[in-house]
Amino acid sequence: MLWTDKYRPKSFDDVAGNVKQKQIIKTWVESWDNNDPQPPLLLVGSAGTGKTTIAYIIANEFSEYIELNASDKRSYDLLMNTIGESANTHSLFGNNRKLIIMDEVDGIHGTNDRGGTRALNKIIKESKQPIIMMANDLYSNKLTTIKKNVQVIKMDKIKSPSINKYLRDVVLKNEEIEVDKEVLMKLSKRSSGDLRSAINTLQALVENGGELTEEALDSTSQKDNTSTIFDTVTRVLKSKNPEHVKRSMFENTEDPTLVMEYIAENIPREYESNKEVKQAYEMISQADLYFGRTRSSQYYGYWKYSSDFMGVGVSTAKRETYRKYSKVMSPMAFSLMGRTRGKRALRDEIASKMEDKMHVSLQVAYTIFPYFEIMFDNDEVAWEISDFLELEDDEIKFFRKKKIPKSVINKMEKIKAEMKEEEKEEWRNSIKEGIFREIPPQELEEIEEPVYIEEEIDDIDSHKNSTVVDIFDDFEDDELDEIANEYSLSNSPKSKLRKNKSSDDESKYKKEKEEELDKGQTTLFSF
Amino acid sequence: MLGPWVEKYRPQTLDDVVGQKHIVSRLKQYVEEGSMPNLMFTGPAGVGKTTSALALVKAILGEYWRQNFLELNASDARGIETVRTNIKNFCRLKPVGAPFRIIFLDEVDNMTKDAQHALRREMEMYTKTASFILSCNYSSKIIDPIQSRCAIFRFTPIKGEEIADRLRYIADAEGCQYEDEAINTIVNFAEGDMRKSVNMLQSAASTGSITEDHVFEVVSKAKPQEIKKMVNAALVGDFMKSRDILREVMILQGTSGEDMVNQIYQDVSSRVMAGQLDGDIYMNLIGAIAETDFRIREGANPRIQLEALLAKFL
Repeated sequence: MLWTDKYRPKSFDDVAGNVKQKQIIKTWVESWDNNDPQPPLLLVGSAGTGKTTIAYIIANEFSEYIELNASDKRSYDLLMNTIGESANTHSLFGNNRKLIIMDEVDGIHGTNDRGGTRALNKIIKESKQPIIMMANDLYSNKLTTIKKNVQVIKMDKIKSPSINKYLRDVVLKNEEIEVDKEVLMKLSKRSSGDLRSAINTLQALVENGGELTEEALDSTSQKDNTSTIFDTVTRVLKSKNPEHVKRSMFENTEDPTLVMEYIAENIPREYESNKEVKQAYEMISQADLYFGRTRSSQYYGYWKYSSDFMGVGVSTAKRETYRKYSKVMSPMAFSLMGRTRGKRALRDEIASKMEDKMHVSLQVAYTIFPYFEIMFDNDEVAWEISDFLELEDDEIKFFRKKKIPKSVINKMEKIKAEMKEEEKEEWRNSIKEGIFREIPPQELEEIEEPVYIEEEIDDIDSHKNSTVVDIFDDFEDDELDEIANEYSLSNSPKSKLRKNKSSDDESKYKKEKEEELDKGQTTLFSF
Repeated sequence: MLGPWVEKYRPQTLDDVVGQKHIVSRLKQYVEEGSMPNLMFTGPAGVGKTTSALALVKAILGEYWRQNFLELNASDARGIETVRTNIKNFCRLKPVGAPFRIIFLDEVDNMTKDAQHALRREMEMYTKTASFILSCNYSSKIIDPIQSRCAIFRFTPIKGEEIADRLRYIADAEGCQYEDEAINTIVNFAEGDMRKSVNMLQSAASTGSITEDHVFEVVSKAKPQEIKKMVNAALVGDFMKSRDILREVMILQGTSGEDMVNQIYQDVSSRVMAGQLDGDIYMNLIGAIAETDFRIREGANPRIQLEALLAKFL
């Protein structure tokens, strides 16, 4: 049996930590008992802080309860059917309340649980029954509407002495096991406020006669202790202890370039003196430089320097830790890309038309935009250029607000037709006279055009599997490609494999070619 | 033909190419011989790399140049694989009506080293049927094996007088009145960049007439105001604002990192010229800009590097 179940507290008093929170919850339950309906409770806190335990303790206080958790598919109908009904039915027998427990409400997924959040909000508003909900991330945007109608209780991480006490006085005492006190304290500290994981680790190590040693602890604790990107960012910005920062960087499994974006985003939000921002950003710059060098040299050994620059480097840039709470923000550059997707697509559409017709690259095309904006003020020039590039109406709007007046369009089209006629006449004459002239381009376009084959890049699987998906949720696939391309240091083994293969190929080819060259072949053309 | 003057007045023959006399005469020899090695055109923007390439292609391939010519953008977001597929499909076919086929690859310096190695392979694979013209801003960013397989031509900024002549020619052909001072002002601001010059000329003309005042108006309108605001914000210590502007310019307008560094340099340098900055502060800023320029070229993420640069301005 799992010790976490075996030693799950049965009363509020046995629950470790969160003293104030427990008091509020107790009052909430008592109010219901006194027939005084209360708004739903939302317990928010990281894993192992006692949310589920408290929910079960409350459940014991009520005669009946219904439970849903993240593994259920929470479509609108399902939610309404299973709890929607019980939420607003009154029992015939007075105080007979039915508690509704919903775990991981921030885990309701946008597309899989179509309408899930909507149903949830409806239930919260209409319910006449006590509801208790649990969530991990207070700032998840799925909670924004929910938060308005509930009582939010923030569950703190459990302090390591409390964890230590619980392990010693409840678990070990009952199991009649003695362990090294120092190592137990270390275990408590390393569980970083997660009592569940502390108990699990302890059980894994000492059940069936195992001995709790430091080596044994080292071998397990790192395994299930991966930090989220938010933990890492907080650690880097708040801590000045290189050991902690390094460990946090090490435990993070996200793409390091993404971690760098997160840290960079939050530097000026946390650090207040410009000197610190300057110094911290220099560290980010160095980290980025080594990512660049990794990419161009394909030597992944550079990554460790990047990690130190953006981790310890940024953390030591501050004079001292700021005593304030700042919310860790997702990189604004990404959300800006999402918000401006339509406009950028339009911009790129125009630029690619310029690429085709004006022999310029996209980058050069962008530099011409400001001049086009000036030229487009002139109705006739606007028409000329739009006609030349075959711009659509919305693309013309990119450069000028007003539509091109109909009269100007008619006039210009007439001029164009006349010019074309003249050109044809000249051409006919030249044929009559037997003089060679180049065939007008429009005639030739029908003969043959080089074939362009569009091909998708499928290199960025790793980003799609990323666990920080919420910020990418709004992105289309090609948008993700774009982001991934910019941060093309994908650590997916697939892409590495591919690179290795091609370079093997490459060196083999190189050898062959060099031998050929030795035989006196030349790269010059000969006919 | 109507439309942008840069395209309408793009020189069609090698004789018409403005400036670059020694390069043009060498290219003409290739035409006479009826063959050419792989070529690499390097030099700043707007000095005639693409124009010379197109003119050479038309002259050397003759009547059916369109069928035997492939123009590709090497920095194309679709990636090297697309470029390679295009090259392969194109080179597999025998030249029709021309002695060989030509592939023109623009902005090769924006390709990764890996992609350049791949490109080198393609270049060698098809030596019998096709010839390459590569164009780039900086030949230093091209791997040696490619450089050693190409005849390299270094294009230089076009001389002011040559640009002025061309601008007058265009204005006359369009039947536009112009002030000589207006032409001179354009030449001053364009810094040897013909594309920029012609765009400025057409912009000024589209506001009514080509006068010095109109040219100044064009110059100030076309110069992104955001850069000034961004540098200002950083210099007065408002990093968040400055960073927001940077992101907006880069993401919304698609401005490249290299262009950003350049514009920041121009802005800071105009401040010292206007007596707004002390020499030592100026040199601190320049040191930071120079280092950023270098780091961007080392292959780092340009936006992150520029954010760090703004932090140095604080």
